[in-house]
Amino acid sequence: MPLILLLTQQMCLYLVFVYLASKTPLFKVLTESAPRLPHKVIIYLMFSAFCIMATYFGEQTHGAIANTRAMGAVLGGLLGGPVTGFFVGLTGGLHRYSMGGFTDLACALSTTLEGLSAGLISLTLRRSGKSELIYHPFVAGFVTFYAEIMQMLIILLVAKPFDDAWGLVQQIAPPMLLVNSMGAALFMSMLRDQKTMFDKLSSAFSTKALKIAERSVGLLSQGFNETTSAQVAKIVIEETNVGAVAITDRDKLLAFIGIGADHHLPGTPIASKITLEAIRDNKVMFADGVEMPYACSISPQCRLGSSLVIPLRSDTEVIGTIKLYEPKNKLFININRTLGEGIARLLSNQILYGRVEQQKSLLTQTELKLLQAQVNPHFLFNALNTIGAITRRDPDMARSLLQKLSQFLRINLKRSPGLVTLKDELEHIDAYLGIEKARFIDRLSVNIAIPEALQHYRLPAFTLQPIIENAVKHGTSQLLEPGVIEVQGSASADCVLLEVTDNAGLYQPSESCEGLGMNLVHKRIQNQFGKQYGVSVTCERECFTRVTITLPLAQ
Amino acid sequence: MISCILIDDEPFARDELAELLLSHADVKVVACASNAIEAIQAINEHKPQLVFLDIQMPRISGIELLAMLDKATMLRVVFVTAFDEFAIKAFELHAFDYLLKPIDEKRLAHTLERLRGDLEPRDLSPLAPQTLSHLPCFSGNKLKVVPIEEVEFIFSDLGGVHVSTRAGMVHTHLTLKMLEQKTPLMFCHRQYLIAPSAIAEIELIDAGAEVITRLGKRVPVSRRYLKELKQHFGFQ
Repeated sequence: MPLILLLTQQMCLYLVFVYLASKTPLFKVLTESAPRLPHKVIIYLMFSAFCIMATYFGEQTHGAIANTRAMGAVLGGLLGGPVTGFFVGLTGGLHRYSMGGFTDLACALSTTLEGLSAGLISLTLRRSGKSELIYHPFVAGFVTFYAEIMQMLIILLVAKPFDDAWGLVQQIAPPMLLVNSMGAALFMSMLRDQKTMFDKLSSAFSTKALKIAERSVGLLSQGFNETTSAQVAKIVIEETNVGAVAITDRDKLLAFIGIGADHHLPGTPIASKITLEAIRDNKVMFADGVEMPYACSISPQCRLGSSLVIPLRSDTEVIGTIKLYEPKNKLFININRTLGEGIARLLSNQILYGRVEQQKSLLTQTELKLLQAQVNPHFLFNALNTIGAITRRDPDMARSLLQKLSQFLRINLKRSPGLVTLKDELEHIDAYLGIEKARFIDRLSVNIAIPEALQHYRLPAFTLQPIIENAVKHGTSQLLEPGVIEVQGSASADCVLLEVTDNAGLYQPSESCEGLGMNLVHKRIQNQFGKQYGVSVTCERECFTRVTITLPLAQ
Repeated sequence: MISCILIDDEPFARDELAELLLSHADVKVVACASNAIEAIQAINEHKPQLVFLDIQMPRISGIELLAMLDKATMLRVVFVTAFDEFAIKAFELHAFDYLLKPIDEKRLAHTLERLRGDLEPRDLSPLAPQTLSHLPCFSGNKLKVVPIEEVEFIFSDLGGVHVSTRAGMVHTHLTLKMLEQKTPLMFCHRQYLIAPSAIAEIELIDAGAEVITRLGKRVPVSRRYLKELKQHFGFQ
């Protein structure tokens, strides 16, 4: 049989091995664009074995061996880099040397050089940012072609006698050049396909995961209940195409969508043993229907045949599960298994986030209640003192001041958490200012200019009053000359602005006591309406302090 | 007869206290003040034996005011406050006299009873700040609070005590001696206090020297204080 056919046969055998290897996880190592040391060792072992195999399978010709060793050395060098390539070549070369023959030294030398030079080419490509070229079949073929020419030259130079060497080269050069280059190219093409497939798979996977994440974002953070669970389950089943999706809390089913929804009813207690086990042991349970049988615990007619149960965790504590099912006639594919675990992690995080948010808002509410309940004692006692003094000379005015004080206290004690009209808020302010004006007489004047149209605008209670109280307490009451406070309101296309300006200009951002009330108002507005709203301050020292409250026009 | 001054920024609060004091024939209100600046002036002018001092006042609080009182004019203080937890704790701790607003007549009577027996000024230094960060000043009939960093020098003459600041000349009722003790300013002349940070040059002349300030003002230095001034900057 002509040498070329024998070598081709050999190469085919080789490629069968490669194909088989490509089905193992080992193959993934080869597709890495920057292999690390342990992976380089694997590459070394794999391709050294190829080299040795090639020498064994080689054809004895004229006291030499026609073979496909070059493929191993070149691929080892291309995939593993210069050092790995060198050692692959050296190993293959030494093995060849041990077989003897008049070209033993020449072959050993050339194989080592092949490995090294392929490695150097690979390094150059990587350094110049063209590492994708390494996986190009033509490049692999071309490099092998060049390597084999080098081998032939070395045989001619090193092997003695020259005439024998010349005869040998004439015979083996064409088939070896052709077959090795082709083999390397085919190998690389297989590797590249594998790599592309893997990339595609993982990109499909991440697209799916991202889509679920995107669609479900914020859902569970609103609360972990039947409504939100049903929405999430619907998204998961749409994106994964599994047979059915269920979400449970620790004791009952919250949502079930898909095959079997007729007898898996939300609100019923958890019946399945594996779910209870998943909750108890905080671990993922998988009943694939083959090794571990799955049978619906409710109805024997249920078509579901396999089930994956993943616990939902808040910190370390299990707060529920998400379950994916496939019917009996469908296999539970692996990707859905991994995806399921990812979804569970995502949902757990959302639930946790929701709880944190809820607690945060609860805290602000509590702080605010505290602020409302805590009438500034200094104000209160001074008010009483003033009323006491006025009682002597003007009992009518004293009575009216008592009315205002009662009104002020009543609103403070009511602590309404919802929205009030600006008119209500202004009444509260009027009661407060009535007393402050009596205390300071001509040292305080307040001009309120809120357009009639805004009187019925609704805003959170205790938004404007604490700001005005601050303007008096830290602003005008600290002035030696008369204090003036301007309160203005305006509406633009999308927001309402309320401005409180005093003529003291004594605002100091570091002052914690002053910050407290204002900060709370700011935090609450942001919590309720979003980051673009809130309270901002501009201050020109000893000239003015202006506090601006920005609220949404439509709520 | 006990002469007293009422210091409170709220007119009705002053009136109320004055009214309550009417029933004590031996107590005479000689003046009222609505802020620290007026208060110092009134104290210097009337030299009362007693002041009723509100704590919360604009810009310069009652407690800060304590630091501005000259040791020589020390007088008995009754603090008056609506609500000030920390101050009240301090009053209790040092057994200082204080009244709570709204003022209880019985408690006022009780306090006055004690004062009749013992009107000696108390040492209020545990309460008073050791340094002044602001000076109460006036210019014409306007009151001003000047941060100490803005002061270049202060001098006294027959017309009073004058404070030269970056923004011009203002006047104060504080004494040079007290200012020397409670601020970074130092004597460079019997009638002059200079802020070391404001000195640009010291020009030596026969009878002493002259300081040229950063704003180009000339301030006399007497032989008596020259050595100290030079030492302050490390000259021998």
